[in-house]
Amino acid sequence: MIPETLKKALEARVASAITAREAAVDVMKELQAHYGWLTDEAVEEAASLLGLSPLQVEELATFYEMIYRRPVGKKVIHVCDSISCWCVDCDGIIEHLKEKLGVALGGTTADGMFTLLPCCCMGMCGDGPAMSVGGIPYGKLTPELVDEILEMERQKI
Amino acid sequence: MPKLIIDDIPVEVAPGTSVLEAARSVGITIPHFCYHPALAIAAACRLCAVKLLDGPVKGIQMSCALPAQDGMVVSTTDPEALRMRQLVIEWLMINHPHDCPVCDEGGECLLQDFTIAGGHSRRRYQGKKRTFQNQYLGETIHHEMNRCIECYRCVRFYQDYAGGTDFGVTGSAGRVYFGRFQEGALESPFSGNLVDICPTGVFTDKTGRFRARYWDYQFAPSVCQHCSVGCNTAPQNFQRETIKIVGRRNDQVNGWFICDRARFDKGYLNDPQRPREARLDGATCGYDVAIDAAAKAIGKFVAQNGAESLAFVGSSRLSLEGMILLAQLARTVDGARLCYFTDGGELTGSAAAARLLNEKNSAYLRDIEKAECIALYALDLMEEGPMLALAVRKAFLAGAQIYLVDGDPIPAREKLPFTFTAVATLDEVPFEGGGRGVVIAGAGKKDADLLDQLASGGAKLVMLQPGPNAMAGGLLSLEFGGQAFSELASAGKIKGVVCFEADLPEGLIVDVEVVACADWRTGAAAAKAPVFLPTTTWVESDGTAINYEGRAQRFQRTRVPGLPLRGLDPKYYGSTADAVAEHPPRVHRKEVPGGAERDAWRVMAQLIERLGGRTIEEPLTGRWSKLKDLDPESEGVRVFNLLQGDPRTDS
Ligand code: SF4
Ligand code: SF4
Ligand code: FES
Ligand code: FES
Repeated sequence: MIPETLKKALEARVASAITAREAAVDVMKELQAHYGWLTDEAVEEAASLLGLSPLQVEELATFYEMIYRRPVGKKVIHVCDSISCWCVDCDGIIEHLKEKLGVALGGTTADGMFTLLPCCCMGMCGDGPAMSVGGIPYGKLTPELVDEILEMERQKI
Repeated sequence: MPKLIIDDIPVEVAPGTSVLEAARSVGITIPHFCYHPALAIAAACRLCAVKLLDGPVKGIQMSCALPAQDGMVVSTTDPEALRMRQLVIEWLMINHPHDCPVCDEGGECLLQDFTIAGGHSRRRYQGKKRTFQNQYLGETIHHEMNRCIECYRCVRFYQDYAGGTDFGVTGSAGRVYFGRFQEGALESPFSGNLVDICPTGVFTDKTGRFRARYWDYQFAPSVCQHCSVGCNTAPQNFQRETIKIVGRRNDQVNGWFICDRARFDKGYLNDPQRPREARLDGATCGYDVAIDAAAKAIGKFVAQNGAESLAFVGSSRLSLEGMILLAQLARTVDGARLCYFTDGGELTGSAAAARLLNEKNSAYLRDIEKAECIALYALDLMEEGPMLALAVRKAFLAGAQIYLVDGDPIPAREKLPFTFTAVATLDEVPFEGGGRGVVIAGAGKKDADLLDQLASGGAKLVMLQPGPNAMAGGLLSLEFGGQAFSELASAGKIKGVVCFEADLPEGLIVDVEVVACADWRTGAAAAKAPVFLPTTTWVESDGTAINYEGRAQRFQRTRVPGLPLRGLDPKYYGSTADAVAEHPPRVHRKEVPGGAERDAWRVMAQLIERLGGRTIEEPLTGRWSKLKDLDPESEGVRVFNLLQGDPRTDS
């Protein structure tokens, strides 16, 4: 159940859109922020807010990689594995992240802090290898820089 | 009109025609998966590659998504195009489980056909395959996602074409999944079309899986007998059992699809309890013995009570042939009454449709699809003509205004695949000069004045009928003075009935003698009749049906009558006790077990002969004789002009 204020705000968001579908991503993101991930309950809530069926929300939710349909850690790391980053050895960075965090791709650290996910090009090709942590982009990664960033992000909480 | 050359053949097509369709029009099939004539173009599978050698575009192109243009020179056999198609097939097949032997689609699978046709016959890929969890989709459709090739036909049909919202596509890239949010029965009353439309075996008909292969089936063109729309089907039979029913294309009636009732409601055809043998006073007897007895009983009844207290009662389950002969039978017994309807309201409605509709004002599928304004009047569309709901949806998507006229308390019970405005009366529907307006009226009670009023407006009309062949009942009621049985019975005018596939409620025949009854199912009249004559159903007989718009369509016998081999009673195996498994009878016999049923019209013809009438070999005579050569694979013919000003049926 979402609080009444959030519900009102989302209803207003939907009302201001030309078609309800257009507001779907915003609604899903807000609900995700509220629950920590987009729970089954949240999918149904989004559906009723948007006038869509739960399946139609699921179609959108599972398409976007920043909508999480499973529980994630406090911060999600999206590490780019597309072509430009691949040219500057994102594979090495990914290996380093896996080792450092003790998880496989898709996994969440034991302390519930980070979830590691590969992602498509983030538009930071010139600064590759690139990743984002909790929504903050980082480029020109090296193993050392990755360690620093992880430490810093851990502290920021 | 673009002129182009495909494989050295000059082709001229209408503007907007794709190269794939242009090729098809001269008999060249370009392999394709995602392309379907009834659906919007997706260009998702990449299989339909051709090479353009000259003209406005050049090189390899997807032919399904490329509009034909003047000057194009297309090669479907260019080595580069062939190679491209071969590689595309190979990649589409990478994750396929190669499980054709245990797949019910095998033998009627587009994927098999085009994989082989495309030249991919040997697997090179040695890696791991992507696998999915299947979902439970209800009791009618089985799900096997690993066979999916991501053509998007299913979701384009289910959501876009049929307006369903509980099935769709989730995930992205290699994880694309076609299913529901959660397991559960598919909600759309058109869900069964997934079986036909999926080019592979992702969706198979659970009600007929693993019974036979395509080449085992006996099938023929048929017409759905569940409502008065008359959609075209092809029942697939194996060893006297109707295993599956699939849709058959008729652009004038149902397009490519059928509703779930047509596809899955077939248990009654195979029912081992169906009456199979002629009965006289409770004991089985030879068919001709029963006919003699029936003729004798009719003669005796008439001698005792007078012909006018005897009614010959049929129903809209009869074929046109049966209905015509019923009238002739009633005429043979001079003065006997004739009823095609039990309910007075139904008779009024059908007779009004027969009287008011004509070639010009009777709307058919395309009129509905192209309408600008549609009024649904006193109607439960999903019950009375489900497939028309999809036609209304098409119009709705093209911008038509839809109104539900609340003149009658029949609710729109099921969710309709379009939105509508509810209004209180027809006057509130803004038919602009009648331009492209259609009124769809239900079969429920309506007063005759209102129907006249409907017909005199500028809009075209659909008057759905209370049964599959009720329009014929209406036409023949006008021609031969058919009456409503319930009215005759309650007025005490009837002392006896002879029933042909009539569904008389028990209450109506308490004080009435059932002289004889012919039917393919049991009911109150059959239980009471001293003489019972089993008849064939529409899958076991040839016949003609007239749909709501006055279109006569021929259905063909799709199998012989008789008990299905599966589950055959032990007595047919030469043993009265042993439960014998599925093996043909070991006793030599010439007849098909339980195969004594005859077509209703033939039974009537024999009765007519026994009662002193002529011998009848052809039921379609007089003005109906023009339907004699109706081709079951044609689109049917509308009967209005056919019947006009012609001499009446001779008898
Ligand atoms: S399930 Fe069938 S129709 Fe749907 S995308 Fe897959 S192969 Fe195509
Ligand atoms: S709409 Fe009527 S005729 Fe058509 S398939 Fe359905 S039940 Fe049969
Ligand atoms: S390829 Fe990594 S950011 Fe573009
Ligand atoms: S048929 Fe043309 S891309 Fe699928």
